[in-house]
Amino acid sequence: MVEELKTVGHSTPRIDGLQRVTGRATYSADVQLPDMLYARVLRSPHPHARILGIDVARALAAPGVKAILTHENCRLVWSSGDRVNKRYLFNNPVRFVGDAVAAVAATNRHLAEEALKLIQVEYQPLDFVLDAEEALQPGAVEIHPGGNLSPIISFRTTGPGERAPSTYVRGDLEKGFAASDFVFEDRYVSKHVNNAQMEPRVALAHWEGDKLTVWTPTQGISNCHRDIARDMNLALEKVRVVCQYMGGGFGNKNQCQDSDLMAAQLAKETGRPVKLELSRKEDFVCVHGRWATSQNYKVGVLKDGTLQAIQMRGYSAMGPYRKGSGGISGVEYFRCPNVKTEVYAAYTNTAVSANFRGPPYPQGVFGIASILDDISHELKIDPVDFYLKNVTRKYRDSIPYTSSGLLECIRQGAEWFEWKKRRHPAGSQQGPIKTGIGLAAGGFGASVGRSSAVLRLDSDGRLWLHVGVTDIGTGAKTTMALIAAEAMGIDLDKVQVISGDTDRTPYSVGESGSRTTSHTGYAIVEAAKDLKQQLAASGPPQGDEVLIAEATPSPSLEGMVRYSFAVHFVEVEVDTELGGVRVLKYVAVHDSGRIINPLTAASQVQGGVIQGLGMALHEELLYDENTGIPLNPGYYGARVMTHVDVPNVEVHFVETEDAYGPFGAKAVGEPPIVPVVGALSNAVFNAIGIRIKELPITRDKIIGALS
Amino acid sequence: MKSFTNVNPENRQEVVSLLKKVIEEGKTASLAGGGSDLLGMIKDDLVAPDVVVNLKDLEGLQKIEPHSQGVRIGGLVTLQELSQHPLILSQYTVLAEAAGTVATPQIRNVGTVAGNICQRPWCWYFRQGFPCFKHGGDRCYSVVGQNQLHAIFGGGPSFIVHPSDTAPALMALEARFRIAGPDGERVVPASEFFVLPREEVSRENILGPDEVLVEIELPPARQNVKSTYVKIMDREAWTHAVLSVAAVLEIDQGVCRKARIVLGAVAPIPWHLPHVERMLVGQRITADLAGDAGRAAVSRAQPLAKNGYKIPLTEALVRRTLISLAG
Repeated sequence: MVEELKTVGHSTPRIDGLQRVTGRATYSADVQLPDMLYARVLRSPHPHARILGIDVARALAAPGVKAILTHENCRLVWSSGDRVNKRYLFNNPVRFVGDAVAAVAATNRHLAEEALKLIQVEYQPLDFVLDAEEALQPGAVEIHPGGNLSPIISFRTTGPGERAPSTYVRGDLEKGFAASDFVFEDRYVSKHVNNAQMEPRVALAHWEGDKLTVWTPTQGISNCHRDIARDMNLALEKVRVVCQYMGGGFGNKNQCQDSDLMAAQLAKETGRPVKLELSRKEDFVCVHGRWATSQNYKVGVLKDGTLQAIQMRGYSAMGPYRKGSGGISGVEYFRCPNVKTEVYAAYTNTAVSANFRGPPYPQGVFGIASILDDISHELKIDPVDFYLKNVTRKYRDSIPYTSSGLLECIRQGAEWFEWKKRRHPAGSQQGPIKTGIGLAAGGFGASVGRSSAVLRLDSDGRLWLHVGVTDIGTGAKTTMALIAAEAMGIDLDKVQVISGDTDRTPYSVGESGSRTTSHTGYAIVEAAKDLKQQLAASGPPQGDEVLIAEATPSPSLEGMVRYSFAVHFVEVEVDTELGGVRVLKYVAVHDSGRIINPLTAASQVQGGVIQGLGMALHEELLYDENTGIPLNPGYYGARVMTHVDVPNVEVHFVETEDAYGPFGAKAVGEPPIVPVVGALSNAVFNAIGIRIKELPITRDKIIGALS
Repeated sequence: MKSFTNVNPENRQEVVSLLKKVIEEGKTASLAGGGSDLLGMIKDDLVAPDVVVNLKDLEGLQKIEPHSQGVRIGGLVTLQELSQHPLILSQYTVLAEAAGTVATPQIRNVGTVAGNICQRPWCWYFRQGFPCFKHGGDRCYSVVGQNQLHAIFGGGPSFIVHPSDTAPALMALEARFRIAGPDGERVVPASEFFVLPREEVSRENILGPDEVLVEIELPPARQNVKSTYVKIMDREAWTHAVLSVAAVLEIDQGVCRKARIVLGAVAPIPWHLPHVERMLVGQRITADLAGDAGRAAVSRAQPLAKNGYKIPLTEALVRRTLISLAG
């Protein structure tokens, strides 16, 4: 248990909550400028086609139309839209249904939309491929020259690596299988699901002379700022990015979006502010979602359940542009002497796949947790005991963790969930309505690294905190204020947070990778140390005096890995005749180090569980295989969870002592979605005695499996 | 979205003459009750009417009126009102329950009963604008496509399922629909209102382009009647039925005297099961008989490649509905 602090660790409502719920918060879409134009995007109806000609004459002559961009007159590269290939704002050929073909700016939304219909595009349809494994077959249409196996990319190095599967090896797989008493093999399939954040993409661009300001919902004003400057060929000081309030992103709003650049270019050409808005359907199809995967596992174990060897060969459908890693992760949570994982990231003519909360994990945990659950069932070992025996003690069995509450999460969680009381052998209940329980474990890197904070203390005791966060819904503004108040030993209401504006705030790492608290929060602690030294040296500021402190620490971990852990327990009821799954009980147990704000941290966990349940039970971007057109883009069609679908989610934190981060806080944002699908899959198996190996676990699959 | 003219007629004669005039001018019109679906379809370019006839101001169609011959329900009564009305709840339970399952509270607050009955299909091919039969095209894309939610009865050449929740309930209640048209008004049984695609592929009911559904007439409530609407959904709100059962049973001293069973979301129209009803009349509804009825309900089903699960699902839901209603 961690030592109690004065401000940190106490449940605190969001400091901007009132503004948000009363409609006074200014989201990017709410910003209005005089003489503003509206922009809309024409998108490809074909999954793969060469554009033979575009005639914009009629559209340009239409009332209110001020400018039109196409691949013929706009050769801007959207560098964060593809880490391997040169992706233009408008590409020829177009490579998925929804690929941008033209953008129109007009005096109002309606005229912009009508003008899109007047653009004549002549397409030559090309062959297309929707599935990753099919895309890698000989003879499949090449989406980019050189074939559909996308190169290895790493977030630590720049530029693409060789065209090969991304591979990890330790030990000797064949020896491991030879030493095993039993070897199990199976295959699991997960589908493309959308981030489905509430706020769709929007960008408002405005030039004052040669300075560009872009209001856009972004998870990272600093990287968005850098991307826009690079792609528009501007000096950093000639670009300002503003995001005062955010309506969610879940990885969908990292970096800059093509709509930011389109709005900037249209504003440049028309000399007027331009607001480009995406519809909900465009947000589902044209930004990105989680990659679909297929995963083949081979696992060797001893009779007592000790893991000997794990092999995983996976395929990820990345869409036609390489924005994301395509990773399939989850094997890392288990200790095992012999491991080999290979992931083939393939180009497909589907919606682009990239970061979505815990990018490689929920689908990977679905696979590994499913096969390990089958193994513990076959060996008649209680899954809790199986996990206690096999979960990771050291990262990849070699590097120590700075702290780990993983075993405690399993032990405590099993008590809180009343695991032993609820447990019965899989498929052993009579009658059409059966209950079942399952658990799964996971984690997420709680990295440390460079970020900045500026503190200004005035003579009234006000602390002005400048941080480059945007608060994507995590409560980051409040978290930052709590850390500042604690570090300075002042009351929370003395802290004024200045955020989300690159002209007013320093660099921040961006609200991705669950890094904001550990990185930017730690910079606040470091800046506060400086400020307290100044106070000690010269006393409090008087009159117009202001004390200023700035810190840009770059902490690193020597020979250690820092992780947050999560173990989830779920009980479901399956109606085997009607095929319905209902969650009866959900217990989420997390080690995120010290919890800065229990209120918003618990909300984060609940939100991640809800998203994971949607992925497990409902969601899939479904394609018509004959035309390559997505059939259900949007909240209705994708069956995103509604309030009435949401079960009660019990959240517990096992607060470990950790020497790093602000007051020992680790990551909270991404871990909650990691174990959900795996736990749910195991609970359904326990109920019906049959494993559903393809997501989502829907009525047709359950009835089909049982009949 | 194409620009359109909005008109607000005040009475039903005005609606009909407006529609007539629009057609004579070679233009198209769409009727808006609550408009909750129509406006979305216009924005998605699925329909592009020249004129939107906004029915909100029509006189006398916003009421639920009991009278000696039954109950008159104005076409503009909202789904919310219908689901909460004491008389409907107690005497015509199946209808209140059906209305209460539609979409979300926001949509039920504006969506009307006539609009729900006349709702266009929610087939994903139709809603994504594929040039299918329902959009005047030459094929049904679901036949060789994603047909998980499509028809197992009455399909061909289109395999849409009728999306309405209130329609199966009204058919089960033997409601009659009053239609206003250029030659005055006519009243048809609900069972004759809907048309199969093999008869008329471009629309789901008998309404001509110059006609409007103005009222629903329910027969007098009978003694010893129990009714219910059971809807299977792929999430708990804001989605159409995967399958629904509207059942009305008259049970006197344990014996079923009359039965009406209508399925939703399994056919291009609400799917009436007279052969199952005949099995029940004059019998005590035991678990065995309910099981037989469930099996009979699906005996003539013709599944497509991906909707075969609807057969055991329907069999089970018919059985369970009968057992719970009779029990």
